Amino acid sequence: MSAYHVMLVHFPIALWTTAFLLILARSLSGAPLVRAAEGALTPLLALGALSGWAAFAAGLLVWPMEAVASSPLARNHLLLAAWSLAYWTLLWLVRWRAGERVWEGMSRWIMLVLAALGVGLQTLTGTIGGYLAGNPSAVSEIVRRLGWEVFTTFYLPTWMLAVVVAAALILAALGFAGRRATARRA
Amino acid sequence: MRFKLLSTATGVFLAVLALSWMVHGTGVVKNDLSRNIFIPEELTMPLQVKAAFDGQKIFFRYRWPAREPHIYHDMLKYEGGKWVRIGRSVAGPQPEHIYEDRVTMLVDDGAVPEFERYGGYITIGDRMRFFTNEASKKEVEAHPYLGKTAKQEEVRKHLPETRLDIADWRSVIPPEKLAAQRKAGYFLDLWHWRAHRSNPIGASDDEVIAEARFGDKGKGVFANNWDAKQGRPQLMFDPDKTGGRFALRWEDLAARKLGFEDLYYLREDQAKPFDASHPWKDGDVIPQRLLRGGDGSHADITVHGNARWKDGYWDVTLVRAMDTGNPLDDKMFVDRRAYTVAFAVHRDANGSRWHYVSLPVRLGLNRAADLKAVEFSGDGPKWEQDWHEVKLFYPGQVSWPMLNSRMHAGASKIKQGVPVKFRHSEAQLAHYGVEMEFNDAIVRQWRLTLVAGLLLIAGFGVALLVLLGNKRSAS
Repeated sequence: MSAYHVMLVHFPIALWTTAFLLILARSLSGAPLVRAAEGALTPLLALGALSGWAAFAAGLLVWPMEAVASSPLARNHLLLAAWSLAYWTLLWLVRWRAGERVWEGMSRWIMLVLAALGVGLQTLTGTIGGYLAGNPSAVSEIVRRLGWEVFTTFYLPTWMLAVVVAAALILAALGFAGRRATARRA
Repeated sequence: MRFKLLSTATGVFLAVLALSWMVHGTGVVKNDLSRNIFIPEELTMPLQVKAAFDGQKIFFRYRWPAREPHIYHDMLKYEGGKWVRIGRSVAGPQPEHIYEDRVTMLVDDGAVPEFERYGGYITIGDRMRFFTNEASKKEVEAHPYLGKTAKQEEVRKHLPETRLDIADWRSVIPPEKLAAQRKAGYFLDLWHWRAHRSNPIGASDDEVIAEARFGDKGKGVFANNWDAKQGRPQLMFDPDKTGGRFALRWEDLAARKLGFEDLYYLREDQAKPFDASHPWKDGDVIPQRLLRGGDGSHADITVHGNARWKDGYWDVTLVRAMDTGNPLDDKMFVDRRAYTVAFAVHRDANGSRWHYVSLPVRLGLNRAADLKAVEFSGDGPKWEQDWHEVKLFYPGQVSWPMLNSRMHAGASKIKQGVPVKFRHSEAQLAHYGVEMEFNDAIVRQWRLTLVAGLLLIAGFGVALLVLLGNKRSAS
């Protein structure tokens, strides 16, 4: 199954990278050509998410879950793959639901930051996948210098987990608070 | 308003990610001596090695950094009318620094083929000494072969095929099969130099790893000086031969005042039977290990020149006959042959499994190899060749049964014979070794982190979707 996983991951990586380039271009320019190209963003993100889910499923079948749970690199790969997938799926949903509004005003810069973060996540996922496939790269050295030794599992202390969950709730609450405020104004 | 909230949501999201990045990997890995867990500050260290031979003898020279030398070991201190043992093996460094430095080398001539691929990992079996789940002394002593016949008290290094099931330390194959294995060369030769036991007399221990770790045949180069029945030393310093000394003083040892040129060890020819009527004072100390000239195969290895620590480095040279005439517990060195060796160093007053180990290294006598033994003639090696640099690493609690189980993603590669070096670096193995000591706790935190991260993305998603609205809603 390893070979199929390696084959399948090319699709989301290519599609999400292309999506990032479109987001970058659209954030910097409103030229007709860029606007026209950006029209492909939603399908790209949709295909990226679908192929990402397929690659993720194939990846789960490469090793027994006991082996994945016992290997720091495999743990990191699974964690980052899950987050990458969720994150890009979210970007797809946002672009699909909000449409052109994501480019209005300062929102475009938020989209750019989020897309850059997505590319960072998928790069990390791919780097660790490369290790697991026996093809380590120098990217891990950059990550190491930024403070994470990729041979150690990425996990958070319990207090930080509580902070993350609280932040998730606050973020959702912010959204609903904003909607109520907008509704009151209307 | 909408943009302000969007910016706030993005800011919160990014801030939480940044904070997560800063605090990740904390809160789990910590020393717990009750579980035999102590993680050294440095996970890797360098070792330099050279080898030379003259057709009769083979020399190995080792050099490694150490903050200070540890040359005291197992001392008996008189305290409140009793003799107390100080320097027993503990998890992590011995608190009073009464634990010797060591360098060891495993040697194989090809009779243990897995050793060439996986080095010392193959010797780490089920429930080893000082693992968190170590077998108890009582269990080992009760074992019909290991305890009753081989007089073992703990599960020590052993080779996989000496067990019917590598995942069960008890499943030793019958003695006649063990003997046949030994005759066929299925053992590892263990060169074992110790800074206290018995570097002061220019000797080294010579051991063998087969179904357990044993001394070679013959009398060892040190013995126990503890009289368990009477709770006191068997021997003491003979004042006629030690300039009037009956014992060492604890304050000298505690301050580590005694150096290479001082008396800090008990030599057989400087000892006499313990005199209980001597007016012993609190703080008198007698070494628990008696250094003596060994004999037979057990005393094949000697120190060449003086093994000393100087300017932050140990420099130790060991020498042995290429053919000792003891084929049941030594590997013979032959010109034009290649061997596999693996090294380990104990330093910083650490004993037992708190050592740094190497991956297997190919040694060649006039053969292409990682470490080439240089042929010489004359009195001794000139050591003109470059050092062979070896990276040693802390191995943690990783066992051969685990590596061959479903817990190890590379278990199938081991079955295919893929060498450890092909997939893992020393630094990687060191980190893996540490993580394995906390595996359950790390897996739990990792799972929670994965879920928490997904929740964060979901929460952020709700914020984005609601705040941006849908494409048909008004701006």
